[in-house]
Amino acid sequence: MAYYVTTLLVYGGVDAIACLALSQQFGVGGVTNFAFIVFQAAGAYAAAVLSLPSDSANGAFQTYVGGLSLPFPLPLLGAMVAGGLLALPFAVLVGKRLRGDFAAVGLLVTAVMANLLVTNYRPFLNGDAGLALVPAPFQSRINPQSSAYQWGYGAVAVVLALLTYLFVNRVTESPYGRSLRAMRDNDVVADALGKNLTSLRTSMLVLGGAIAGLSGGVLVGFINLWDPAAWGYAESIVLFAAVIIGGLGNHRGAILGAVLVPLGFLEASRYIPDTFGGPGLVPALQWVAVGLVIVLFLWFRPQGILPERRRAIAGTSGREPDDAPPVGRIAVPRGVARPAGKPEIVLEARGLVRSFEGVRAVDGVSVSFQQGRLTGLIGPNGAGKSTLLGMLAGTMPASEGAVLYRGEDVTRAPAYRRARSGLIRTFQLASEFRRLTVIENLLSAVPDQKGDSLRGALRGRRYWGSQERLAIARAETMLERFGLTAYADTYAADLSGGQRRLVEIMRALMAEPQVLLLDEPMAGVHPQLAHQIGELLLGLCADGITIVMVEHELAIMDEFADPVVVMADGRVLAEGPMAALRAREEVVEAYLVG
Amino acid sequence: MNVFFASIGFGLVSAAVLAIASVGFTLQFAVTNVLNLAYTAVMTASAYAAYALNVRGVTIWAAALAAMLMGALLSLFLNRVVYTPFQRRRASPIALVIVALGMTLIIEYGTQAVAGPTNVSYAMSQGANVGIGSFQLSVAELAIIGLSVVLMLGVHVLIRFTRLGKAMRATAANRDLARSSGIRTDRIVTVTWLITGALCGLAGAVFGMNAGTFGATSTDIFLVLILAAVFLGGPGEPYGAMLGALVIGLGTEVSAAFIVSDYKDVIAFVALLAMLALRPNGLLGARA
Amino acid sequence: MSADRGVQGLPLHAEEITAGYGGSPIVHGISISVEPGEVVSIVGPNGSGKSTFLKSLVGLVEIHSGTVTVGDREVTGWPPENVARIGLGYVPQVDDVFAPLTVRENLEMGGYLLRSAEIPARLEHVLELFPQLARMLRRRAAKLSGGERKMLAMGRALMLEPALIVLDEPTANLAPAVARSVLTEHVRRLALTGASVLIVEQRAKAVLEISDRTYVLGGGRVLMEGTPAELRTSAAFVDSFLGGGQRAAAPAAE
Repeated sequence: MAYYVTTLLVYGGVDAIACLALSQQFGVGGVTNFAFIVFQAAGAYAAAVLSLPSDSANGAFQTYVGGLSLPFPLPLLGAMVAGGLLALPFAVLVGKRLRGDFAAVGLLVTAVMANLLVTNYRPFLNGDAGLALVPAPFQSRINPQSSAYQWGYGAVAVVLALLTYLFVNRVTESPYGRSLRAMRDNDVVADALGKNLTSLRTSMLVLGGAIAGLSGGVLVGFINLWDPAAWGYAESIVLFAAVIIGGLGNHRGAILGAVLVPLGFLEASRYIPDTFGGPGLVPALQWVAVGLVIVLFLWFRPQGILPERRRAIAGTSGREPDDAPPVGRIAVPRGVARPAGKPEIVLEARGLVRSFEGVRAVDGVSVSFQQGRLTGLIGPNGAGKSTLLGMLAGTMPASEGAVLYRGEDVTRAPAYRRARSGLIRTFQLASEFRRLTVIENLLSAVPDQKGDSLRGALRGRRYWGSQERLAIARAETMLERFGLTAYADTYAADLSGGQRRLVEIMRALMAEPQVLLLDEPMAGVHPQLAHQIGELLLGLCADGITIVMVEHELAIMDEFADPVVVMADGRVLAEGPMAALRAREEVVEAYLVG
Repeated sequence: MNVFFASIGFGLVSAAVLAIASVGFTLQFAVTNVLNLAYTAVMTASAYAAYALNVRGVTIWAAALAAMLMGALLSLFLNRVVYTPFQRRRASPIALVIVALGMTLIIEYGTQAVAGPTNVSYAMSQGANVGIGSFQLSVAELAIIGLSVVLMLGVHVLIRFTRLGKAMRATAANRDLARSSGIRTDRIVTVTWLITGALCGLAGAVFGMNAGTFGATSTDIFLVLILAAVFLGGPGEPYGAMLGALVIGLGTEVSAAFIVSDYKDVIAFVALLAMLALRPNGLLGARA
Repeated sequence: MSADRGVQGLPLHAEEITAGYGGSPIVHGISISVEPGEVVSIVGPNGSGKSTFLKSLVGLVEIHSGTVTVGDREVTGWPPENVARIGLGYVPQVDDVFAPLTVRENLEMGGYLLRSAEIPARLEHVLELFPQLARMLRRRAAKLSGGERKMLAMGRALMLEPALIVLDEPTANLAPAVARSVLTEHVRRLALTGASVLIVEQRAKAVLEISDRTYVLGGGRVLMEGTPAELRTSAAFVDSFLGGGQRAAAPAAE
């Protein structure tokens, strides 16, 4: 009986560690790594070969590399390193812009193939017979079969699981974790707000890989053997099932899933007599049950048993409601940089062309934007306005031409780098981070946060807490100015269309923009509020921020924009104050003729 | 040289089975836009159905027909009851992959629950060997190749010359426009899954007969081969799948003659990854 | 070119249509009618809901309330395959051809509902209307230029000899010269067959030249209606395009 409980503890600990790694990688970071099981296997193999003596010492009946006979805890550390290193080549694959299901298939097949290779290549890891007689830690000092050892191992497994939980929690409940979740919810927008997606994804893969490796190492030290059958096709699916059923994006859910699925299922079968239905029926039915539970959960409760928690942080800044400073001061507390070179022009397009599948959406546009002015960008449907904005911000590559920002050529610079230097854009269609609250959406845009790196996150709240409180205070002030204080802790997806537009604008302002590129910010916004926003934007200009605004509501252009640039058929048609443009024949033609 | 010719023979047989399977898989993707990863599970279930009948004295041909029926019904079930409802809910492609994997577990291990955990073996003669020099194929193997060729021709005729086939291509190309042209796309999709399901079932039966011995999870590796063939030719392109099957079938067997045969399937794996990385729409598809 | 009154045009009456994707509607209470053989156009600034309205008529967008009657049949909420069967031909704005299929196959698809004996005659008829297509029968639709594609799209819709033709921005993404010819030659030709034509367009001025009546949409509602002569002289008409008129009251998407 005691053996049974200790076995449960170890398996439970191991499964929890693995599921937490997957929860961090997949649930929080949105990285779908269907080859996940390979990392656990790598860790187990690494721990095994590091702790095994050389193959001749063991009677030479199994062949493998290594055989260094290292003592605890080195094999375990080796397991983590193996898992982490193996993740690096995957980071190269995951970044590609491939359809979600195509990428998933590629990774699944990788796992199947890795299994095939190890099974068939004997000299590496003893092929399909696997590795046996793997030494248990400290087995020369304490008898591994003794009750004390078993309980000790069980305790260690649970403690490691707990430590893993604290670790991933620390990463997730930090500004860095928030950036991860933002990337998960909408990676294109996260990129445009200054998040380095490649770096984030690589970190998630390596971290997840290392922790998965740890789980493998702990398991192999206990069961003392490891073979390809332990990490096949079906085993991959089980871990994903556990995390989905437990609750995606919730680390406690991952632990619950680990207990229910790998542990619960496998252990519940012990209570069914083996003679039931004949040999092999019960294990087969277990797998059928796992499959059934996956499909049913995805249908009835895709968020899992313990869904991702809504984080309520409004009011935690300790800020006193005071005379709200002008929005310009909230948006750019450190002031606005003056561009080098020609003092007035802060953003410039030179001969920009966007050619795709034979269509020239933007056909040689040269336009410059002066500091501290609100320039309007108008034109009929298909004129190329959004495309131009995309090329200026870096979210769309330019086929020809150049973009100059503060005198520097940034044409080849990726969007996140432009965002970090103050060139911020908003998007036309729904682009809020759905599973972040309104205030979290705002906070995600704040640049240069101490807690917004892995190292910073690991140093804990004591390190980044005070800066975060300042950021929250800033966000709360912003919410007040826009009248959305009541919605601070509401999921952004639950707001109305017009309100989400406001969140988009506020979020852009939180990014401390020097130049703001707004893509139809007033769409769906109540006329009165649109007017207020216009006033607000003018205020920002007075503080030195440069704004380029695409809009269809030409009346807004009348009031707030000067100059206004008219585009049609991918080219600039005219430029000047709105009133003058209305009078011009070719502008009217463009709109009516299309 | 002898080994080379012999491997070409094996390659043709492998390509033949793979072609039947891959064309079905790719057509399912074409009309429904879902990668039916439970495809090989359906093959397994159908293979067992054929075996169960054959072992009780039913002829090979009748058993194969039963497998086709099993494949057709299971596939229709998958589309109607599982994939379509999830798609109506706008589930993400990743979610559909996980659903497909779940269904794989249910079908494969459900089959194992019914049939038992031990592998089963066909005790059927392969027939005399026919051939020139070292290029030898058994009668059974020739039958498989012949069957595959006939089926590929049949698919060609179907999609090129029949009204149904054209409606399938229209539905695959642009579902809304097909509907606006009066095509009842729901019915076309149903018929497509029945036909491709039958192909799937037949492929399963032939796979089992060709392998001689098989178990519930024997087809897992085969999925890699199917995916490689499908992505080589381009997902959704039936002629691409035929071409891909030929390349992968021959490629794996011929390479097995030169490198250690245990790794022959790695060729397929490399081909698949290369296509995904460089040309996801396949050799015959449009540039991504 | 002689008038080829091949069909008896069907009337279309849309009453108080409110429609949209999912929850919030994009068009509100739109009422539009097309009398037999008329050419009616719908114009309006971006985001006014023109495309959404058209899609709701042909069954591609959900109608929340209101009725659509074609001829003497109520077709509110009918799926596109049924709407096609009563003589409505639809030419979408994008995804308007079967890209991997050849020109001939595209046209044959258009004639899917015909008996195979009828197809050659209809094919010949459509090729008379669009002679350029006759030279490209073997070419894949994906390889056609913008103007050629649009002609193919219209040809496909004409295979069933529709009595009511609905076109969604047929000149979108076409060069101005090509656009002009599409409207003045081809769309006009459609009208000459006797069919009723409902056309949504961005190029308001050009489409006015071929319309019997025009509706102006804004913010998901009908702003004004009239004959081209009436609208051309109306200051409110120009205004509605250049702002100063109704503001978008709901998030509208094209």
